[in-house]
Amino acid sequence: MEHNNLDAASGDKFNLNGNCSPSPEKQSFDLNHTKNIDDISTPSELKFDEDFDFEDPQISEKRKEIERCLHSPDTVNLDQWQHLARSKGGLISDDYRKVIWPLLVGVTKDEMTEPPSLDDLSTHGEYNQVVLDVNRSLKRFPPGIPYEQRVALQDQLTVLILRVIIKHPNLKYYQGYHDVAITLLLVCGDRASFPLLCRLSCGAAAPLQPFMQTTMAPTQHLLNYMLPVIRRADPDVADCLDKAQVGTMFALPWYLTWFGHSLNRYSDVVRLYDYFLCSPPLFPVYVTAAIVLYRGGEVLRCDCDMAMLHCLLSRLPDDLPFEDILVTAEKLYLENDPEDLEPEVAALERREAEIRHADEERMRRRREAGARARAGRGRAAAGWRGVTSLAAWLPAVTSRRALLATATVLLGVYVYYRPELLFNR
Amino acid sequence: MSETSNQQIPGLAQKKVFKIIVLGDSGVGKTCLTYRFCEGQFLDKSEATIGVDFRERTIRIRNEEIKLQLWDTAGQERFRKSMVQHYYRNVHAVVIVYDVTKPESFHSIVSWMQEVESHGLTNAPRVLVGNKCDCGTPESRLATTYAQRAADKYGMPLFETSALLDSECDNVESIFMTLAHKLYSKQPLRVISVEGDQSYGVVTLPRHKSRTAPPRDSCLCS
Ligand SMILES: Nc1nc2c(ncn2[C@@H]2O[C@H](COP(=O)(O)OP(=O)(O)OP(=O)(O)O)[C@@H](O)[C@H]2O)c(=O)[nH]1
Ligand SMILES: [Mg+2]
Repeated sequence: MEHNNLDAASGDKFNLNGNCSPSPEKQSFDLNHTKNIDDISTPSELKFDEDFDFEDPQISEKRKEIERCLHSPDTVNLDQWQHLARSKGGLISDDYRKVIWPLLVGVTKDEMTEPPSLDDLSTHGEYNQVVLDVNRSLKRFPPGIPYEQRVALQDQLTVLILRVIIKHPNLKYYQGYHDVAITLLLVCGDRASFPLLCRLSCGAAAPLQPFMQTTMAPTQHLLNYMLPVIRRADPDVADCLDKAQVGTMFALPWYLTWFGHSLNRYSDVVRLYDYFLCSPPLFPVYVTAAIVLYRGGEVLRCDCDMAMLHCLLSRLPDDLPFEDILVTAEKLYLENDPEDLEPEVAALERREAEIRHADEERMRRRREAGARARAGRGRAAAGWRGVTSLAAWLPAVTSRRALLATATVLLGVYVYYRPELLFNR
Repeated sequence: MSETSNQQIPGLAQKKVFKIIVLGDSGVGKTCLTYRFCEGQFLDKSEATIGVDFRERTIRIRNEEIKLQLWDTAGQERFRKSMVQHYYRNVHAVVIVYDVTKPESFHSIVSWMQEVESHGLTNAPRVLVGNKCDCGTPESRLATTYAQRAADKYGMPLFETSALLDSECDNVESIFMTLAHKLYSKQPLRVISVEGDQSYGVVTLPRHKSRTAPPRDSCLCS
């Protein structure tokens, strides 16, 4: 295929292509030699630890089927690709994924254009944040990847992200976006991953679009759908989460990165992406619910305490049976249509707003009491004067803040259903 | 509403729990500092924090076991307001971190302080931490005297340290231990403070420097 043409660089004197499997022996590189990004092999040739010792016969059969489809792609329709991506085992190998992922989101070859150079993009306002996050993405690369190749891929990653947010200035970069971008980059290479990432980020039904608004309120709202789904399936677990007031933060990185940030096994991440690339935007939230339900026993045994539960849930075990979890999530989705859940989510958000309001009221009283105590002791020292006057001024602010919070949530709901309002500006 | 259950009953031999929230711009080293304190080493492959991470460590004060819960927050602005809000709840102490090689991160202290105050933590013990003092040259780092003035203004102790250097381990330790001791000494008041808010007004915060080891001596500077 066209986008394989990076392979042409394999004659390059570093011969990276032949050596990019995880090998423990260090290769010596001239680190001062600056290499063109184009010289680096197609990322999908990188191999994560894969176990070829045994393959489920069902998967071997599926492998053959995928190869048949890839042999004559014109005879295969989107439904068939989607079926392959969702059914057990997903797309099996990155060699298949790099061709099929673009097809799943409808990216065509002529959209796969040459990326600009990093230097051209480095003046962007988000450049520093992106670089900071990209530099800390080491865990996401295959173990044993040669230093030079990793650095080149990180540059590609920075370029990829900046390209998208430059093309769509209404989209705001968030920490975690880089985790999605790197997954696409590792599988599809830098040319194909750009239109892919654009497709996922921009447009009314684009799954990452709600994450890229000015605030995280839309994301928070969508993540709240997890709770009624859990409640309908297992009220005891829901009660426990509720009582501990653990919130949804433990699942935030899962949703924002499609689990890329939170799973140690690369093969699990790409398997989930196979599925998400052909699912409704809210589907990852149902997977989140399915995971919590799967761990229901642990939840019930855990101290009903926010910190302990957050700690337990936010760390995903390495041995989650994702095939089963996806089946459960699919079932949950069919049984609990997002639209049906709306009243429950709204009730939940009202309750949260009330609690927040009560909290704010409590803080206000505390501040006033503090100010009184200080004034009473005649100790309004210079450093505290600002604070005292702030306390006097705060009641007004508090109610405004509560109003604002409610307004933000409502706006979030609204924008989620009418995203075009934001985009057509 | 749920102030963690196990710390509320005075006289019971349950572990006390102190919750500390760690704030500061993205990249200043919040995750590395909390990791250093809880795991005793530098976190090589730090990743961007998405939302809030949680770490804890049990310490001893006057022969009593105390659990320190550290809430390591995301530095990126968009996570702050609505997202992290939930985690300010029932927090007992605050650590604000800046990067000594990044003046912008120091200037952000103002907005972090505003945030702290808006969450009713005006009287909670707080410390200011200048991290990465292993980086750069003495000239390129933010001057201690300058940072100290800000710390004095806000009435919090200043620590300059490095999450990276093993030699700074004790200093990182003392950041959190300072807070723990402060919380421990006001513990009886704090326990009744769930509704009896007055207790917070009685606590005096240090308004002068109480920095530990002078940082210049303890940092390896290039
Ligand atoms: N030289 C040096 N580098 C440090 C030190 N502490 C952290 N770093 C590096 O600074 C970068 C950011 O550190 P983190 O701890 O991830 O920063 P953070 O404040 O948690 O950032 P966010 O999670 O984005 O809010 C990482 O690459 C660390 O390796 C330090 O004391 N010295
Ligand atoms: Mg962090």
